[in-house]
Amino acid sequence: MADTAQVATAASSKDPSVGLKAVRSLRTLVERLEALQVDNARDQGWTWEQIAQQLGVTRQAVHKKYAAGRGLLRRKD
Amino acid sequence: MFERFTEEARNTVVLAQQEARELHAGHIGTEHLLLGLVGQGGTPVADVLDRHGLDRASTIRAIARLTGDAALDADALGAVGIDLDAVRERVEATFGPGALDAPGPGRGRAQSGHIPFTPRAKKVLELSLREAVALKSKSIGDGHILLGVLREGDGLAMKVISERGIDAATLRQEVTSALRS
Repeated sequence: MADTAQVATAASSKDPSVGLKAVRSLRTLVERLEALQVDNARDQGWTWEQIAQQLGVTRQAVHKKYAAGRGLLRRKD
Repeated sequence: MFERFTEEARNTVVLAQQEARELHAGHIGTEHLLLGLVGQGGTPVADVLDRHGLDRASTIRAIARLTGDAALDADALGAVGIDLDAVRERVEATFGPGALDAPGPGRGRAQSGHIPFTPRAKKVLELSLREAVALKSKSIGDGHILLGVLREGDGLAMKVISERGIDAATLRQEVTSALRS
């Protein structure tokens, strides 16, 4: 386990490379979780509209981002 | 070429494919061939590698370190109080192993069917044939595959080996004598 005090120090670190790296990783984490969840929702028959609503974005935004990888052209495997 | 492979060499390739699939790699690279070599355990070649500290677990760790998900940095996330291992554990419990890994070409759904060799891994297998010929061996053994890795010299497997501080020339010698015995 990481030492709590050490983590707290790092979190409040003024070193931009520490903070920015954390932000980048957070963004990546969000992207990967979003892709998993959208995929899962589509598998369960959710509409793009429903997914967009939960994500708090427009239907077009979520459709544009994720629809390309799905549909008839996929599932070759 | 495969028809000249010994049983160990065949197993190496089969294991390499399994490892690539399990790691959601989308390709079979030299690193997976190395995993195929160490993963058999008990073969003279696996023993040589084991003596240098390369077993399956340490090899997988080294590969993960070298291919490092730069975009998903566990230490950086720890710095803001997020335990990436805990997140990974929960996500994988729901969506399966590797769910949080970077999406690659072969990824998505359960990976099945054919996984292609990388050009470098192909090269290694070609070189293993040449090594066998050079050592006047009628068949291609797993040791020749390792010699192919060393001869090719640039793959991820080679990086794992040199990161371990293993001298390529020494290893080559040890493998060659293991092949003779």
